[in-house]
Amino acid sequence: MANTWGYGAMTNSLGDIQNAKAIIIFGANPAVNHPVGFQHFLKAQERNNAQMIVVDPVFTKTAAKADIYVRIRPGTDIAFMYGMLHLIFKNGWEDEDFINDRVYAMDDIKAEAAKWTPEKVSDVTGVPAEKLIQVTKLYASAGVGTLIWAMGLTQHSIGSSNTRLAPILQLALGNMGKEGGGTNILRGHDNVQGATDMGCLSDTLPGYYGLSEGSWKYFASSWGVDFEWLQGRFKSSEWMGKKGFTLARWWAGAINGKDGNDQIHNAGTGLKNLFVMGNGITSIAQQAKVKEGLDNLDMLVLCDPFVNEAAILTDKQDDVFILPAATQFETSGTVVATNRSVQWRTKVVDPLYESKTDQWIMFELAKRLGFYDEFTAGMKIKENKKDFTWPEDATDEIARIIKTIGLTGWTAKRVKSHTENWHMFDQISGRGYGKMKGEYYGLPWPCWTEKHSGSPVLYNTDRSVAEGGMGFRNRFGLEHDGTNLLAEDGSAPKDSFIEGGYPEINKDNIEKVLGITLTEDEKAKIGKNWKVDKSNIIVEKCMEKGLAPYGNAKARAKVWTFPDQIPMHREPLHSPRADLVKEFPSYEDKSNHFRVDTKYISKQTEQEWVKDFPINLVTGRLVNMNGAGMENRASKYLAALSPEMFCQIHPDLAGKYGIRDKSMMWIHSPEGTKIKVKAKYSFSVSEDRIFIPFHFAGHFQGEDLTHKFPAGTAPYASGESANTVTNYGYDIVTQIPETKGGLCRIEYAKEEA
Amino acid sequence: MGEFARLNFYCDEHRCINCDGCSVACAEAHELPEYISRRKVITMNEGIENMEYSLSIACMHCTDAPCQQVCPVDCFYIRADGIVLHDKDKCIGCAYCLYACPFGAPQFPLDGAFGTKGVMDKCTMCAGGPEETNSHEERELYGQNRISEGKVPVCAAMCSTKALLVGDSAKISDIYRERILSKGHGAKTQPYGWDVAYGKKL
Ligand code: SF4
Ligand code: SF4
Ligand code: SF4
Repeated sequence: MANTWGYGAMTNSLGDIQNAKAIIIFGANPAVNHPVGFQHFLKAQERNNAQMIVVDPVFTKTAAKADIYVRIRPGTDIAFMYGMLHLIFKNGWEDEDFINDRVYAMDDIKAEAAKWTPEKVSDVTGVPAEKLIQVTKLYASAGVGTLIWAMGLTQHSIGSSNTRLAPILQLALGNMGKEGGGTNILRGHDNVQGATDMGCLSDTLPGYYGLSEGSWKYFASSWGVDFEWLQGRFKSSEWMGKKGFTLARWWAGAINGKDGNDQIHNAGTGLKNLFVMGNGITSIAQQAKVKEGLDNLDMLVLCDPFVNEAAILTDKQDDVFILPAATQFETSGTVVATNRSVQWRTKVVDPLYESKTDQWIMFELAKRLGFYDEFTAGMKIKENKKDFTWPEDATDEIARIIKTIGLTGWTAKRVKSHTENWHMFDQISGRGYGKMKGEYYGLPWPCWTEKHSGSPVLYNTDRSVAEGGMGFRNRFGLEHDGTNLLAEDGSAPKDSFIEGGYPEINKDNIEKVLGITLTEDEKAKIGKNWKVDKSNIIVEKCMEKGLAPYGNAKARAKVWTFPDQIPMHREPLHSPRADLVKEFPSYEDKSNHFRVDTKYISKQTEQEWVKDFPINLVTGRLVNMNGAGMENRASKYLAALSPEMFCQIHPDLAGKYGIRDKSMMWIHSPEGTKIKVKAKYSFSVSEDRIFIPFHFAGHFQGEDLTHKFPAGTAPYASGESANTVTNYGYDIVTQIPETKGGLCRIEYAKEEA
Repeated sequence: MGEFARLNFYCDEHRCINCDGCSVACAEAHELPEYISRRKVITMNEGIENMEYSLSIACMHCTDAPCQQVCPVDCFYIRADGIVLHDKDKCIGCAYCLYACPFGAPQFPLDGAFGTKGVMDKCTMCAGGPEETNSHEERELYGQNRISEGKVPVCAAMCSTKALLVGDSAKISDIYRERILSKGHGAKTQPYGWDVAYGKKL
């Protein structure tokens, strides 16, 4: 997404889905994962006659509400989308003007799409050709359509290609930058967008600033600390610019290449300590490896309101610390919703019992480690204070520093006034009225200045920049292979000083592009470019001229720095179709991928996996739980809805293995791991695949570990983690695990006495 | 609530997504034992294309309530607003009401006759029972009394999609009628725009 048009976030909002005439959902199940947000889908159907198309390997609760359900083979979304594009180009359903003015390299897509005839798509995806034609015709002709996805599209070895082709499909139809259109990625948990924005990633600084020395220096001075001091915290200066381990594979760092495990590149040492703050690491892929990683640590610290099940998964006896963290109800601060809007959350009660807030834990840790002053200095800068007020000064610090995604307008005062006056905003457009006039609820980013309205629909040129309009971001240069990468004439946001495209604004081009002359004083204050301009002069000047500081460029269908320049179908590492593995093989193995050597083709061709593991394995969520299910299974009533780990299995498939409804069954993975779960007959899955939820923990490969909980802390429900049997496999760019398209083998589990 | 208001439930089949928000909210609010389901969400034809649908069901607070008619100790009473309640001190747990009830609403404890919520338990429409309003005794036996505080029953308040409607039956019809009439008429953005943004006239 970010590599297509500048930002990787939901482009519109849940409310805006009500404006759609068609909704196509790939690998998302909002009826289960976003039950409240799902009412907007239902209202779009009711009020707007929107047609809802659900493309999913499993017939979900969302599919039950769909007008058309498409049962797709896991991991073949690219083939399906190219199939749609094939028909779109063949029938002239594309938006030619939009493509010409605002998209680069659509011709390359067209060439690839030409290969994906409905028959070919049908062979690869398992979707009948007529259904593909029906869906495409409906979606392309319905008027504005919105495209929805979640983890079902991203958690594949080709996930980063999936999430490029979906935007390309929307670009081809001209569905971007429109109310009722867009690519609406559903964030799975509370504040995921906020956490990502704040840099809970191993390859960025907060606000998606990269790891270059320039970015570090900008942060050092904004945080009020010496750059050299920061640099001194690393083993050597070069490590400052390197990507770290990811959540998906941190354990490889702890195992450190022992016993034939993947080799790491970590300055000659393994990971020794792990500090986990509110993360269900018992719901990430390869649980047997997670356990091995935990066992290999010197020290493990877990901070959660309930006991993180990593504590009982590990055999480690010493130096495991469980810190009682407070919940979100026991503290206050900002929280960012899936549509890039911010809200203030007020404390309901003081932290209960001995629990402590996250910030308390971090401050105390910083004190003990001796950098508390540096850690908190940034909060005092704005008003040159002696001390800071939490969390207001933290919020203001974020607003002061993060320019890339336009958080300048998110001051604590403004955010609070939005939350306090939430009733003064329209529920669909987010427009404020009365005293909130001129602002959109929650100031969806980019919110360029302390007066800016916020931007509810990204890349919308029908609105002025002041009202949240903008073109695509100029992020990938001015031209490529001799082709102009800036937008063509006539595609600038409303009231723009410039008719067409323009570059991102920096100190050197501002006078020329904006046609202004800066005063000497302004010249002295202005930063190098709009992203590091502490004076905000660049942004203010752009606002006056109706320009977006990041430029107005074309979205790109081709990413020349990626292994696949245009998205290509590649079979999952564990594919049920050996013939297609030959035709669509995976990538070359990748060395030093977020510090770990990662297998692709060698894993895919290690053996013909389907022979021993003939069944597709799909994982997903339940409505009463989220993540690792720690909090939910600790609730009596939520646990009662699904008291046991189970596997949805088609009766015909179960019958072949002599598995009766409600009897126990084993699921074996190609990695040699297994789980024992209860069979639940279901027609939601077809005969070639099974579905298991990933919210359970506490049992491991047939063994009940719950006796290891400290007295009185075991949840009401425990069970095998689905991720003990999800397969090896990671995205080639992001390293997200391939949990949505693996293989397994099943057998009846004899009831032992 | 008007003088002749009758309180009813309605569950919109197009909206209900079987999320169990309603039933969990009910159980949590009234601290019910796990085996008591004052409200239950039923899904039919699960997993079958074009056939699956869900509905949330509790006591329907019948006007001519069969439970009341068959009760041998006459423990049921119907309030002026139509809410059907019963007196747990009189109730003998014979389950006649369950035979009579067309919706399977009455619930019985598993662990002996005098479990925490008495002999028979059912949806009270969040209106408590015959004990003194908002007393400790009422809360223990019947759960919260939200109606006395002017609050909407918790199941409907919590419903994710506003499938579940509760209240004055005339109001419910109005809401549902509006849903039907707005079909195909487009999203309902409030009809005001801005003439100012960013502090200046555009
Ligand atoms: S218990 Fe059954 S019969 Fe009695 S009022 Fe409720 S729904 Fe009607
Ligand atoms: S009205 Fe109250 S008691 Fe009845 S089902 Fe709803 S929440 Fe439960
Ligand atoms: S909360 Fe609403 S949508 Fe969810 S199951 Fe209950 S009635 Fe249905």
